[in-house]
Formats: sequence, C-alpha cells, structure tokens
Amino acid sequence: MSTAAMHAEHHHHEEHHHHESFISKYVFSMDHKMISKQFLITGMIMGMVGMIMSLLFRLQLAWPDEQFSILETLLGKWAVDGKLDPNFYMGLVTIHGTIMVFYVLTAGLSGTFSNLLIPLQVGARDMASPFMNMLSYWFFLASSVVLLISVGVETGPASGGWTVYPPLSALEKAMPGSGLGMTLWLVAIALFIVSSLLGGINYISTVLNMRTKGMSMNRMPLTIWAFFFTAILGLLSFPVLLGAALFLIFDRSFGTSFYLSDIYLEGVGALENIGGSPVLYQHLFWFLGHPEVYIILMPALGITSEVISCNARKPIFGYTAMVISLMGISFLSFIVWGHHMFITGMNPFLGSVFMILTLIIAVPSAVKAFNYITTLWRGNLRFTPAMLFSIGLVSFFISGGLTGIYLGNAALDIQLHDSYFVVAHFHLVMGSAAIFGMFAGIYHWFPKMYGRMMNNTLGYVHFWMTFITAYLVFFPMHFMGLAGVPRRYYQFTLVKEFDVWMDVNKLITVSAIAAGVAQLFFLWNFFYSIFRGKKAGTNPWQATTLEWSTPEERIHGNWPGEIPTVYRGPHEYSRPDREEDFFPQYIPDESDLAQTETQKTKTAPSESEVEETESASVFFAAIKRVFGLS
Amino acid sequence: MLNLCLKTPFSTKLEMKMDTLRKSLASMALFFTPILAMAADEVIAPPKEFSLANYDWISILSVLLALLIILVVARAFDIGALTEKITGKSVVKWNDVNAWVGVIVLVAGLIGVWYELKYHSIYLMLGNSASAHGSTYDSMFYWTFGFTFFVFIVTEVLLFYFMFRYRYSADRKAHYYFHNNKLEVIWTIVPTIVLTFLVLRGFTTWSKITTEIPKESQEVEVFAYQFGWKARYAGDDNNLGNSNFTLISGTNPLGVAEDNAVDELVKELEAEVVKIKGLQASINDSVAVWKKNHDYMVSTGLSRTYPEEYKTVKTKYTDGISGAYERTLEKDLKRKMTNLSRIVEYKKDRTFFDGSAKDDKITTEIVLVKNKPYVFKFRARDVIHSAYMPDFRVQMNCVPGMPTQFAFTPTMTTEETRKARNNAEYDYYLYCNKICGGAHYNMKIKVTVVDSEAEYNTWMASQAPFVAPVAVPAPAGAAPSGDSATVAPVTPTVAMK
Repeated sequence: MSTAAMHAEHHHHEEHHHHESFISKYVFSMDHKMISKQFLITGMIMGMVGMIMSLLFRLQLAWPDEQFSILETLLGKWAVDGKLDPNFYMGLVTIHGTIMVFYVLTAGLSGTFSNLLIPLQVGARDMASPFMNMLSYWFFLASSVVLLISVGVETGPASGGWTVYPPLSALEKAMPGSGLGMTLWLVAIALFIVSSLLGGINYISTVLNMRTKGMSMNRMPLTIWAFFFTAILGLLSFPVLLGAALFLIFDRSFGTSFYLSDIYLEGVGALENIGGSPVLYQHLFWFLGHPEVYIILMPALGITSEVISCNARKPIFGYTAMVISLMGISFLSFIVWGHHMFITGMNPFLGSVFMILTLIIAVPSAVKAFNYITTLWRGNLRFTPAMLFSIGLVSFFISGGLTGIYLGNAALDIQLHDSYFVVAHFHLVMGSAAIFGMFAGIYHWFPKMYGRMMNNTLGYVHFWMTFITAYLVFFPMHFMGLAGVPRRYYQFTLVKEFDVWMDVNKLITVSAIAAGVAQLFFLWNFFYSIFRGKKAGTNPWQATTLEWSTPEERIHGNWPGEIPTVYRGPHEYSRPDREEDFFPQYIPDESDLAQTETQKTKTAPSESEVEETESASVFFAAIKRVFGLS
Repeated sequence: MLNLCLKTPFSTKLEMKMDTLRKSLASMALFFTPILAMAADEVIAPPKEFSLANYDWISILSVLLALLIILVVARAFDIGALTEKITGKSVVKWNDVNAWVGVIVLVAGLIGVWYELKYHSIYLMLGNSASAHGSTYDSMFYWTFGFTFFVFIVTEVLLFYFMFRYRYSADRKAHYYFHNNKLEVIWTIVPTIVLTFLVLRGFTTWSKITTEIPKESQEVEVFAYQFGWKARYAGDDNNLGNSNFTLISGTNPLGVAEDNAVDELVKELEAEVVKIKGLQASINDSVAVWKKNHDYMVSTGLSRTYPEEYKTVKTKYTDGISGAYERTLEKDLKRKMTNLSRIVEYKKDRTFFDGSAKDDKITTEIVLVKNKPYVFKFRARDVIHSAYMPDFRVQMNCVPGMPTQFAFTPTMTTEETRKARNNAEYDYYLYCNKICGGAHYNMKIKVTVVDSEAEYNTWMASQAPFVAPVAVPAPAGAAPSGDSATVAPVTPTVAMK
C-alpha cells in the first residue's frame, strides 16, 4: 500500500472516531496510546504484587526465627504463627519471578512502550491492526488474573521456580504447588504467549509497513529498532515455550512421557513413564528463556539511547554500531541457551560450544556500554529523572553484564551455577537495568501519555533511593554466591557454615524494604501528576523525534492533519550550524524543501513498485551503513 | 479478614463464631487504632490476639509515620516548585545537586566494594579449594576477576565522572560528535581479544575438569531423593552392583539388583495388586456407604458443625459418584502391574543380578581419602536435584533417568580446612542446589576427607553391607538417619488417594 494512500485513508477513518463512548475509549480501546496506558497500569499493579512478594520472602531470609504476626493476618494458613511456610516460600519465589520476568518486564515494559512509541515515532495513525492490539491487552489481562488467582488456591501456587522444571512441576505429588497451582500457571503462560504473539506481529508489521514519508529504516529512533528486534525475538521464541508448556500439560494430564523417565515417588511407587528426558524441557524452555532476557533488556536499552541522547543534547554516539549490536545480540541470543545448562549432565563438548557463543555476546554488549559513555562525553547533561534512570541503567548494565563473563564460562559455572552469584547477576543486568529503563521511559514520555509533567524533585528522590538500595540489595549477593550459598533456600540457619551471611541477609532485606518505600514516592508522583501535574506543552524536553510533533490534545489518529514528513536522522542535537540545540526530524530546512519540490514533479509510482524500491533501498541502506559507505 | 488459619474442628458453632468475631476485631484493631482494640478488649474477655505485645506496634506506627513523611515530602516539593514558579528563581540548582550526589555515590560505592573485598575476602576462594582441579578453577577465576574488575572500575568511574564534568551549563553547547570509526573498531577488537583469551582458557579448564578421569578412580554412587542423599560404596569385590528404579522398595532404597530384596518387593506388589482388585470389586458398596455418610451429615446439619470432616466425606463421595475413585484404582493397578512385569523381566537377566550388590555399602555420610581420585556417579529418584560441593568446586545435576558423573580428587582433609578457615566446627557438605520441593533447603549430606586409607577403612568397617542380617538400611520413606536428617521439620503433604 502506498504511504500516501494510507495517509488519506487513515485521515478519513479518523474523522469518524471523534465521539467515542466511555467503553470504547477507556475499556475496549483500539487506540494504541490508551492500550499502552492499560499495559502500563496493569504492569505497575503486577510489579507491586511482585515486589511485595519479594519483601515477604526477604523477611524470612533475614529473620528466619522471628514471628511476624502481620504475616499470619495476611497469609493465613501459609504463615502459621507468623512464620512463612517453606512450600509457600517456594511459591512466592516462583510467582515473584514469573510476574517480574513476564508480566512486568515483558508486557509492562515492551507492551507499554512499543504500543506508545511505535506509531508515534514512525509516524503512523495507529498500529497495523488496532483490533489485534486490543486483543493482545485483554489476553494479557486475563493471563494476569489467572496467575493472581493461582496464588490463592488451596494447595498454593506453582512452586518449582519460575523455570518450572519437570519432573517437579509435572508430578502432582512431588510438591503441593505442582497441583492446581501449576495448572493455572500453565494456563496463564499460554494466555500470555498468545498476548505476546498478537502484540509482536503488530509491532513488526507497523515498523515495516507504516513508516511515514522520509522515515527510512536508518532514520528510525533506536527505541524503534529495539522494539522491532524484541518483537522478532518474541515471535520466534515464544512459540517454543508454548510447545514446552503443551508437552508439560500432556505429561501432567494425559500420561505421556516427554519429560519423565525412571521415577519412583514416595507414597506412589515406581511410575510407568520411561524414555522421556527432563533435560529436553530445559532445552525447550531456555530456547525461549535466553532470548527472553533480551526481550526484557533491549526495549530498556532502546529507551535509554533516546533519553540519553536527548538529555545529553548530543546525537547518540555510533547509531549504526548501536543498531548492529542490537542485531548481533538478537541473533546470538538464539544460540546460547545452553549456558543455562552447563551442569545438567549435557555433553561437556556441547558445553564448550555454548560457552564460546555466549562469550561472543559480550562484544556487542561492550560496544553498547562504551557508546553510551561516549555519548555523555562533552555533552551538556540535563539531569531529568529520566536521564538519571538511564545513567543508572548503564551502571547496572555494566556491573551486571561483567558477571555474565563468569557465568558464561562453563568452567566457572561449576561453582557459581544456581548460587547467589546468579541471583545478583540477573537482578542487576536484567532486573534492575530493565526496570530502570522502564522508569526512564515513564518519566520521559509521561507528558506524551497524560499531557502533564511529573514532579522532577520527587523523581530525584525516587531515583537516588532506588539506585542506592538496588546496589545494596544485589551487590553483596555476589560475595554470597562466590562462597557457595545456594539460591532458593528457605533459610540458612540449618547450615552453620552459612551463619556468617546472616548480617548480609539483614542488610539486603532492610535495603529491599527501603527500595519498596522509594516506589511509594513514584506511585504518588505518577497518580498525582496525572490529575494535577504541570501542563506539558507539545515538546517539553526539546526533543527531535516525531512523537513530539503531535498536538497537546491526544487524539485517536495522532496528528490532526497530514502526518509530518521526516527529513533527517533522529538525534540532531547541538548541530554546529543551528542556533537552537535541537533540530527535529519533522522540520524541513531549505535544502529539504527544494528536494520535496522536485519529488512532487515526478509521477507517482504504482503500488508494487513502491514496495520493491522501498525494501531494496532499506536493504542497500543497511549494507551501506554496515560498510560505512553512506 | 481471612480466617484461613482457623483450626477448630471440635468447637461448637458458637465458639467458632466468637472466634471469628475476635479475629476480625483483632484485624480491625490492627488496621485502625489501638483505641479500638482496647474498646473491644472490654467487650470480650481478652483472648490471645488482643495482647498488644502480640503486635509489633512500633513497626506498624513507623510504617505509618514513613508514609506520612513521604506525603509531606511530596507536598513540600510541590510547594517548592510553586515558589520557583512564582518568584521566577530556582531555589535549588538540582542539576548540580544531582551531579554531586552522583560523585558521592560513586565514591561511597567504591569504598563499599573495597570493604566487601576486604571483609569477605576469606570466602572469595583464596586458596580454599579442597580439590585438585580447584586450583585450576581458581586461577581461571582470578584471571576473569582481574579483567572484569578493571573494566568495572574504569567504566563506572568514567560514567560518573562524565556525569559530573559535563553537567548542564547554559553557556555551553554539546559537542556534535556522532561517529568515530577508529574508536568503535578499537572497542570492538579489544574486548574480542580479551574474551578470546578467556574463552580459550575456559575451554581448556572445562575440558580438563569434565573429561580427564584417572583410571584408578574409585567410584562412589551418590543417590538423591526428596529430601536427602545416600552414598553407595562398592564392597570387598570392588564392584558397584547394578540398580534400577523399578527395584526400589522400603528395604531397598537405591533399587539395587539383589535377589532377596527384589523377591520381597515382588511379594509386596502382589499383595497390593490383590488389595486393589478387592477394592475394585467392592466399589459399589463403598460408594453406597460414602453416600449414606454424606447424606447423613447433610441432613443432620453435622456438615456445618464439622466442616473439616465433612470435606473429607464429601470428597470421597464425589470421587465415588463421578468415577474418579474407580479411575484412580485402575491407574494404581496398572502402575503396579507394569512395575511387576518389569521386575520379572529384570529377574530373568542373570547378568544384571550378578550378586555384586550384596556387599555394597549404603551410607548416610561420604568419607573420602585425601589425594585419592574419585568419580561420583549421580542418580536421582524422583525429581532433579543437584549435588553441590562448593569447597571442592564440584557441581552436577542428578537427573531421574539420566546418570551423571563428576570426577575429582580431594586435596585437603576436613581437619586442614578447619585450620585454614580458623573454624573448629567447619564441615564439608554436599548440598542440594536445584529446587526440589519444600525441604530443599535442608537436603545435605556430610562429606569428610580423612588423611589416610587406615582411617577410611575403620569407618568403612563400621558400615553394614547391603545384605547383612543385622543392619537393614533405613526405609527410604522414613526420615533418613544420620546427618542429612538432623533436622527435618518439613515434608510436603504427599497424600495418597
């Protein structure tokens, strides 16, 4: 479809949408901006639940012998006499992981910002399929509800860790949580995958087909590149998880033996299952699981790129290198899953191969980190909360990323596997970093979402408290891991060798509580600013990208008139030849105007021709950029 | 509020209601004010819940106080912003404040890192490895540590230094600098070279650890189950007997191929089959009885007085009516029959039952001799476990249906490590390091390294061989004796239908 025709159609389309009922505007909305808010609020609620869960089990780890009467009031039979039940502890750990990985950092982060920014930044009226987009949210909400319900069932939620390895998760009698709780977990994840796929297809097609005039691939903001690769990763890897989950459902309910073999269960006897392999599940799971890490991280990196560039008043250093490294990370993420399985009894040679591939990922990651730092160099840094969170992200990305070099090394993994070192590593590099990216995005694009500003000073308090406490929580865990303290232990008092870590555990818990308190500042700021914040105006950050050209009134269809044309790359800050320190993508200068005039005189090409030339030019543009020819 | 913890099956209706009332009042008190609690105190005789000491009032009040402070701070900032707007002057230069805080945090952070390294250095694997490959491992570790620590310090310092140095100034314009091929090539190539070095070293270390197994290594079987470990040593014949999960029974926890134990298991299974067939024959009668019980409880109102008992009766009744009970019996029968037929097949294979299991010793502790090479052969009975011995730099998953192994040579006796760690009570343990159920945190077995073959032999002599009439090994299901079960407070509710 030619872009011009599309514009006209959308323009026409949009005029019918001025009077919407409450339901179609706020509930079953098909406007990408509203859907993004729905994702955000749901993600925030899930995030709160996930964090409260982590505080509950942190209390247990710091004061294993104390009784907290409040716990009994809250949890009933799961905390008799105020002491957390070991099985429920496992349940909390599992659901905390599931919520944070899938519901907050995948749907909450990617869902929010892909939806908000893709149409706005590429210059489209809406997503390729607004209806599918709406479905994506509703599947996500249904999935969230099912997961939350699973926490309340009598036998407890799924409790085999967020990776739910069989046979533990496959055998109802292996653990109370492997009963109804596990079934609901699987249902929730299946719904989640549907949501994710519906969203992903939409993101990809919008980015490829609906860019405005002049918005070639190499003029896309890095956020869009990140969302684009994220969507591709999700589209290719989530179906594999669905397959793994289906096999697991079959093993649980229909007597198959995909993952089960040679099992004798206490109280049941020897089972009939023979010939399956629990390790098969791990392969399938981590084929999703590893790309999933990048599905979480890459949108955060994309957001950071934009925010840092805008607030350093400098173009991002090495745009092409940033895109290529994203591409490299995306590709490599599919062939490194085995580094989660070095010590599962997998053939050691296979371990070597995965080790080599894994450590290659450090190269594009290093390039990204260096490029961020160089972008700051000789910039003119404005510390908005979004900027601070982005810098925080870079800090976490470095500290957490470097420990990946230990864990990706099969030999070092022998000692560190499943220890607190791993907990420290992934909470820094993908947990904290991604959540900081999410905060940066919220602070930065809040004006675009609600037309108002958030309070900066509260944002500073929020940032510094969160940044410091996050390091206090996760940094000491490295040392615990090196000393061989295993993760997912309900308490350490039964092993006197671990007594020395009691103080550290307390420090971590106190810091975690402080981090929780810090989020209250954010919540207050967020909800207060929605109603009472300062009016934002159209371009409060003096940014260059397309979304800041939309009017203050946020309408369905985004731009009241024609969609603006794009004339240059996304990061034209502080150009020496300009008076102002930013030069938006959508404002033509004299030479651009002359060019458009000449273009107008040409006859319009037919549809198929447009498509061919466009895709060809994208391809050649990419090649040229790779070899530095442009 | 939720009353899930109520456990008063034999209390009367009234008592239960009172209890509910008390509980909900208590919760209200918790959520409103202490005054309300005291008021309630006068109405009902003070039960346990009303003791003020039961609640950590200090914490609750401090939480409320914290919330209040947050609110006040939030409002204060709003007022600050308003002042700035009215007066047109900025009260605080936040941009500078943030830059300074960044520097302070960096310095404090680096001091923290230094303190951690110093304070916890004795746990940082400095010469503490107790196995032969441990030193190779540690050297690999230190190379990686040196490299990453250097990069960590340099990049973090640069990040915060730039943050401080290039903070906003209205007089300055940022340097328009978007590309430098040379720089980018440098920081692609340099990490690549360093990583190549680390990969090659890692590769050799890994291959050495996983593939080099000395021929004279002694085999020890390590067997994992929910929630404990057992070790099996070969007896005098120096040959570990065969084993299979189908042969596991109460008296044969590892399922070794030994005729008497297996015959016993066959008898047990046959008895169970007869029992299940009997139950199947009388399904109709059982269901009728359950129905009668159920109807009786409902009609007399007992179902409300004894909710817990009623629940059990109702479950049986509904299972019986819906056919779930019948299906369960069928499944059980099928499982037992399959098990039986498999055992019979095995029994025919006389090379499998070669008698070498008779003198095997199944122990609840692992004793090793210093400087003697070992191969641990891992088996798991029910779910995945992971044998983790941090002191020896050993870890390997134990997977049902897939035997795994790890070869290593202990080089430090328990005594030596105690001295090195300056801790007279330190012991080596093999921990479970793969989530395996509720008591995962307490699944461990003690590992002792002795100095001489003689000490080992004395210990070995005290262990009973598998078929000795005097010492029948502990049944698998019961709490295992020995160190791995000094405290076993939790077992998941494994209920057999």
